[in-house]
Amino acid sequence: MNIAWKEMKKSKAKFMILGSIVFLVSLLTFMISGLANGLSQESAGLIKDLPAGQFYMTKEANQTYSMSRIDHSIQHQILSKQKDATAFSIQMGFLNDRDGKQQSVAFVTATKSKQFINVEKGEIVLDKSMEDNGIKIGDALTNNQFKGKFVVKGFVKHSKYSHASVAYISMEDFKEIYGTAEMQLIFVPEGSPEPTSSSMESFSNHQFLNTISSYKSEQMSLNMIIWFLVVISGMLFAIFFYMMNVQKIGLYGILKAIGVKTSSLFKIMWTQMVFITVIALSIAIFLSQIFTRVAPKGMPFSLTTETTVQLSIVFLIIGFIGATLSGLQIKSVQPLQAIQQGEV
Amino acid sequence: MIFKIDNVKKSYKNGEVTEEILKGVNLILREGELTSLVGASGSGKSTLLTIAAGLQPASDGQITFEGKNLTSLNAEQVRKIRAHQFGFVFQFAHLVPFLTVEEQLLLMLDVSESKLKKREQKKEVDKILKLVEMDHRKHAYPSSLSGGEKQRVAIARAIIHKPKVLFADEPTASLDSKRSKDVMTLISNLTKTLNIATLIVTHDEEMLSFADHIIKMSDGQILRKV
Ligand SMILES: Nc1ncnc2c1ncn2[C@@H]1O[C@H](COP(=O)(O)OP(=O)(O)OP(=O)(O)O)[C@@H](O)[C@H]1O
Ligand SMILES: [Mg+2]
Repeated sequence: MNIAWKEMKKSKAKFMILGSIVFLVSLLTFMISGLANGLSQESAGLIKDLPAGQFYMTKEANQTYSMSRIDHSIQHQILSKQKDATAFSIQMGFLNDRDGKQQSVAFVTATKSKQFINVEKGEIVLDKSMEDNGIKIGDALTNNQFKGKFVVKGFVKHSKYSHASVAYISMEDFKEIYGTAEMQLIFVPEGSPEPTSSSMESFSNHQFLNTISSYKSEQMSLNMIIWFLVVISGMLFAIFFYMMNVQKIGLYGILKAIGVKTSSLFKIMWTQMVFITVIALSIAIFLSQIFTRVAPKGMPFSLTTETTVQLSIVFLIIGFIGATLSGLQIKSVQPLQAIQQGEV
Repeated sequence: MIFKIDNVKKSYKNGEVTEEILKGVNLILREGELTSLVGASGSGKSTLLTIAAGLQPASDGQITFEGKNLTSLNAEQVRKIRAHQFGFVFQFAHLVPFLTVEEQLLLMLDVSESKLKKREQKKEVDKILKLVEMDHRKHAYPSSLSGGEKQRVAIARAIIHKPKVLFADEPTASLDSKRSKDVMTLISNLTKTLNIATLIVTHDEEMLSFADHIIKMSDGQILRKV
């Protein structure tokens, strides 16, 4: 007989409260992790969207790409061997629109490649968010260090760096603004043979992201919030099940006295825990997915199903551990205790 | 002879001092016989009953049931015997609050691993509920039953799996004298018709008329057998 189910049916309110707490905490966790992911996309989407591979910068740069100046001959040597490789540079800067309003952007320039957008001299390709800011194709933009004008050729989706829109410009124009002809970085996608050069240091995608200190610290604090929430929800689980079990000590004693196995009592608790958690998580997943669809445009929010599934599994495991730990008292319940305590 | 208690002792450690609650008790229960255990409060009646029923271990002595020595079995083996061969009625009914009367009894059949099919189980439940005159409240939850009704359901639960031994600790203590008599008549009749060996603790002198044997306890020992 399904005691677990019968109990939930009879004490709906109690289980509903537990369920709504699980729901609220998991929804909060999903939202925060959506924000964290969204922010990281704004912070380093340009890099994160690249395929897996290796990043190279000079050893002299000391793991700070903006200090890296790759020698022309070395760049030529690598790029001529690796067809898919590309050299690129990133610099933060400003663009002035028609009304003279300044907009912060991340200028990116790269050698011809599949990974980056390539533009001709005097042209510029911008992140889609700039279009939302009122800039149109054909507009002419200026920069204080640049004598000519940039003509907007088009927009690309989701290209952000350091919370600014990416602006792709040609290498000549980049050189005019920043005064350096050398590139900062070379990216070699996975599968190509890896170049060896004693003056260069290589990084995987993940390692490279961690050399960007603003990105690293931002993600660290957001991840800390997420894990904090996960831990709190685990504790909530344990405390709630503990309180429910304390209430039921007498009942457990009686059931044990008439011969119910301790393992059956644990099964009852696990069934209830899984049932409640799965329902609460499903609602939280559903709502957070809806939110992903209707989130305001400018809001950095990106929640992949992969992250949601991962977090859900963590919640299930944590709920299971919490319930089981609090349920250890079931093991020590003596049938006698309940009988001598009077009516349950 | 189906159930034999041999020189059973029980002592509790109370800090530094050890108190001996049972000082070597001998007792025999027979099928179809109702044995009443009487005695002053604190004389050790409940302690003896719970030890006999395998709800707590004895400090010394032997308890023999169907040739097996209960004191030498492990917890799981004792649990199995409790589930299959023993029935319990306590001072309070101790029903499961979220199960209906019918479900309480089905649960007991489940626990005793009844071989009956679902439909036969329900029939059996109906039969036993008729016996305790509770068939009209089959779908009621314990919270809506009176004290006497609860106790009758508890008795039904104690016997539905056809136990060989029935243990009852003051089953009538929470009932008025009319209801007490009804419950005792019921237990006494069941003892005879189902051929159960019944051990019942009672305070109530009136209830002794139902007993085949009366055993008086005093200070952890059996005073006299009547
Ligand atoms: N777990 C325990 N720890 C210590 N002492 C106990 C324990 N259980 C019972 N006792 C003591 O054992 C003695 C006998 O208790 P028991 O409950 O068997 O008495 P009783 O004859 O059933 O009394 P009553 O008629 O009041 O129910 C009492 O003095 C009681 O205090
Ligand atoms: Mg007692």
